[in-house]
Amino acid sequence: MEYNGSAIIAMKGKNCVAIAADRRFGVQALTLSTDFKKVFQMNERVFIGLPGLATDVQTLYERFRFKTNMYKLREEREITPSTFARMVSSTLYEKRFGPYFCEPVIAGLEKDGTPYICTMDLLGCITTPADFVVSGTASNQMYGMAESLWEPDLEPEELFETISQSLLNAVDRDAISGWGAVVHVITPERILTRTLKGRMD
Amino acid sequence: MAMKVELPQKGFNFENFQRNAVLADKGYKAPKVTKTGTTICGCLYKDGLVLGADTRATEGPIVADKNCEKIHYLAPNMYCCGAGTAADCDHTTHLIESKLELHRLQTGRPSRVSTALTMLKQMLFRYQGQIGCALVLGGFDVNGPHLYTIYPHGSTDKLPYVTMGSGSLAAMAVFESRWRKDMEREEAAELVKDAISAGIFNDLGSGSNVDVCIITADGVDYRRGYDKPNQRGVKEQSYKFAKGTTAILTEDIRQFVDVVEGDAMDIS
Amino acid sequence: MEVLLAIKGKDFILTAADRTSARSIVVMKQGEDKSRALNKNILMLYSGEAGDTVQFAEYIQRNIQLYGIKNGVPLSTSAAASFTRKELATSLRSRNPYHVNVIIAGTDPKTALPELYWLDYLAASVKLNFAAHGHASYFTLSTMDRYWREGLSLEEAKSLLNKCIAELKVRYIANLPEFTVKVVDKDGIREIDL
Repeated sequence: MEYNGSAIIAMKGKNCVAIAADRRFGVQALTLSTDFKKVFQMNERVFIGLPGLATDVQTLYERFRFKTNMYKLREEREITPSTFARMVSSTLYEKRFGPYFCEPVIAGLEKDGTPYICTMDLLGCITTPADFVVSGTASNQMYGMAESLWEPDLEPEELFETISQSLLNAVDRDAISGWGAVVHVITPERILTRTLKGRMD
Repeated sequence: MAMKVELPQKGFNFENFQRNAVLADKGYKAPKVTKTGTTICGCLYKDGLVLGADTRATEGPIVADKNCEKIHYLAPNMYCCGAGTAADCDHTTHLIESKLELHRLQTGRPSRVSTALTMLKQMLFRYQGQIGCALVLGGFDVNGPHLYTIYPHGSTDKLPYVTMGSGSLAAMAVFESRWRKDMEREEAAELVKDAISAGIFNDLGSGSNVDVCIITADGVDYRRGYDKPNQRGVKEQSYKFAKGTTAILTEDIRQFVDVVEGDAMDIS
Repeated sequence: MEVLLAIKGKDFILTAADRTSARSIVVMKQGEDKSRALNKNILMLYSGEAGDTVQFAEYIQRNIQLYGIKNGVPLSTSAAASFTRKELATSLRSRNPYHVNVIIAGTDPKTALPELYWLDYLAASVKLNFAAHGHASYFTLSTMDRYWREGLSLEEAKSLLNKCIAELKVRYIANLPEFTVKVVDKDGIREIDL
């Protein structure tokens, strides 16, 4: 986790969810890129954030892309976030005694439109709270921010501000994550993707 | 270029083990796993048995989940409380749940607690304690109520009242002083609640709420959030930010559209 | 102690690698070329454990060439980077993994679009505008950050590379007398003098 650095957060709102991540790629203290992708869209309504060792982030994304595509071909329907979460969990637990160094965050809307968020540890133990989930090297800071800023039934635009401020202020207290951020807000009508202006130090 | 297709394989996969050992040597330690530094317990009473658990999951000193479920479903007449490495408890109980379901379909009769017990202890013994789950197994079958504890290495106990997890000492103290033979249903539920509460308030690894599950010959009464002694205060102020507080660099909106199959309707 | 550098320009990528072959603290040879052409328009630079490097680079080179022969179409730069990453990631989970850091520089022969990928031995792949591997990154990335911009001409890129090498000569303890400098553009790969 501390080798590359990362911060990912997801929150529930009123009929919507949001997921946000920082954009830094570095090797310990050396920053190499400020447009690294850590949040991936699996289908129209499911997003996954993969904080952790960069090589495992990329390997896992490739595996999940393969598995969701196979699911779509076999079942002739899109995977729902809760089913996807179980799939991710099993993929991680398969490597119980040689795990991937990654603690995924999943956000999406179920078939009937109910918001779904969850996070996992590196072995695949799913946690599904009612409010928000955080993961990455800045997780302690994000816990503090989100715990005080989050409130129930936020509208999409309010949720965007809350998640953005939670993330930006948290990564400012973490040396190895930050350098810009990206936010996705998923509503039944649209997906809103915004890149944020953040401190570049 | 040779085509490489990943085929699903049975059982655990150890390919990252070597690499992680190398990384650990270089000082890059693995992230902490979620543990259920837990209080779980169970006791027999007149008509059946009661299982109890707290709802805190921890990741080192951080509370990872304030209201997690530690009483896992195994069969319609059987539940199992888990303590230890959370992923191990989740996946082990899930695996046994599936096996019991298949076993019931095969035999056409309700599962017995001793079947689940044997499956669990054989699996845990095979992994020599590497799968870190400590369980309290309870159920009601043709032979009456049964209550077992299973340790990570695969040893088991059968007792009238049991506790497990980091808060087991606190909970056992309550049972030792107050458990009696042939208690009434609500009396037993209250005793279990008090045992778990002792763990919640005296063990740092346990916290939040009390879940209770009463199993009798007539069925299961699962009381999620039976007692909530640690409710969070209501926020008096709102910390909503005004729209536009966050500086945006780029924006991309993708609108969903409804695709209607067939020809468009004539609306002239 | 090895130095790999690459800079993306308007329609080319300029790369530089030191020519020293060293073992422990001894220089064994000068004039080593630490790069392999994957196909006509893609160049791979490598550094890392001696033995692993050439073995891995040639394995990738042959497989990508085989792909070109089999399909009659050369592999694109992004596909070559993706293939290399996958091979490196798979080897990482084997009994003795390759310890190789690579830079993949390619220019599309039709669109003249240059692409530059940076991969470390853990198989993390990133697309960059300028890249460096090893200790050299600590000395040169700041210079490249200051002077790099979109659409550099070859002369401008060469001048930037000269600045980086000058920095290494002044501040880096290792003695690096020679560099192999190559340009990858739509016409292919060629070696140039700075």
